[in-house]
Amino acid sequence: MSLNPWVVVPAYNEGDVIGGVVASIIRQGFEVAVVDDGSTDDTAVVAENAGATVIRHPINLGQGAAIQTGIEYTLTLGAPYILTFDGDGQHAAEDLKAMLEPLASGKADFTLGSRTMGRAVNLPLSRKIILQAATLFSRISLGRSLTDTHNGFRGMTRRGAGLINLRHHRMAHASEILGQIVRSGLPFVEVPVTIQYTDYSLQKGQGALEAVRILAELAAGTVRR
Amino acid sequence: MTAQIFLSLLLFVAIIYAWIATSRAPAIGVLFGLVALTGLYFVWLPSHAIAIAHRLGIGRGVDLVIYIWMVFSVLAILNLHLNNKALLDKITELARRIAISETTSRVALDEDKDDPGA
Repeated sequence: MSLNPWVVVPAYNEGDVIGGVVASIIRQGFEVAVVDDGSTDDTAVVAENAGATVIRHPINLGQGAAIQTGIEYTLTLGAPYILTFDGDGQHAAEDLKAMLEPLASGKADFTLGSRTMGRAVNLPLSRKIILQAATLFSRISLGRSLTDTHNGFRGMTRRGAGLINLRHHRMAHASEILGQIVRSGLPFVEVPVTIQYTDYSLQKGQGALEAVRILAELAAGTVRR
Repeated sequence: MTAQIFLSLLLFVAIIYAWIATSRAPAIGVLFGLVALTGLYFVWLPSHAIAIAHRLGIGRGVDLVIYIWMVFSVLAILNLHLNNKALLDKITELARRIAISETTSRVALDEDKDDPGA
C-alpha cells in the first residue's frame, strides 16, 4: 500500500513528451500513474522507462475515462492524495506541491488549478475566448464563481476522489468533474498554476468545434437512463 | 384500408418498443409511446387530424402528422444515443477492469522479481 501522493497522467500518443513529463513529476517527489489510453505510439514504453506505473487501456476511450481509471487504480493502492496532470507538457510539475498543500493541511478536499490566477504562457486569443466562454457556462450551470473551469490540473483527497465518477469519456468530463466537485459539498480551492502552451500542445487541444461538441455531450448527458 | 392496417401494425410495434424503452429511459419511452398512440389515432380517424391541425394553427392535417413524425424521429434518435451511451459505459468499465487487473499483476510480478525472498 502506497502512502505517497500519486499523480495521474492520462496520455494518448504522447510518446514525444511523456518521458519528460514523468521525469519532472518524479523529481518533485510524487508517484506517477500514466494511463495509456490506447496509444498507437510508444507512449506506454517511454512512460514506463521514465519511472511511471503505466495502466494500459486496451482501446482508446477518452481522457475522461483515462482519468477515472487512474483515480480508481491509485485508490486501490491506498493513495491519500491524487492529482491529475496533463500528459502533453502544458502543466508545470513545480506547481504540484502548491496543489497538494491545501489537501495535506486539511483546508480542502479538492484543489483546482487556475491559469487565470497564475500564468498562461503563449495562450492564443482564440483559445482564451473559448476558455472564457467555458468559464461563463460553468458559472451559470454551477452557480459558483470560478476563474478557470477547464483546467486538467486538479488535486483531491482520498475522500474526494471516492466521490468522483466520470461518465463523460471525452472532453466533456472537465465540466462533469467540476459539477461533481461542487455537488459533493466538500471544500475546494483554486490554486494559481502555470500553463505553458506550445505548438505541440495547441494542436492537441480543444478547438471551437470541440467546444460545441462538449456542449452537445453535456446536454445529451442530462437525459440518462 | 390496407395502408391503415399496415401502418397500425408498424405503430403497434413502435408502442411495444416504447414500452421496452420505458424501463431504460422512462421519459423517452412514455413520450415515444404517446407519439405512437397519437399516430395510431390519426391513422383510423384522419378527419380528426384535420380538425386538430386547424385548432393548432397548422394548415393541413397531413402537416400535423409530419410534425408528429419529426418528433417521433428525434425521440428515436435520442433513444438510440442513450442505448449507445449505455453500451459505451459498459465497454469502458470492462476495459478499465482489464487495464487495472493487468497492471496490478504486472506490478506484483515486477516486485517479486526485485525481491524474490519476500
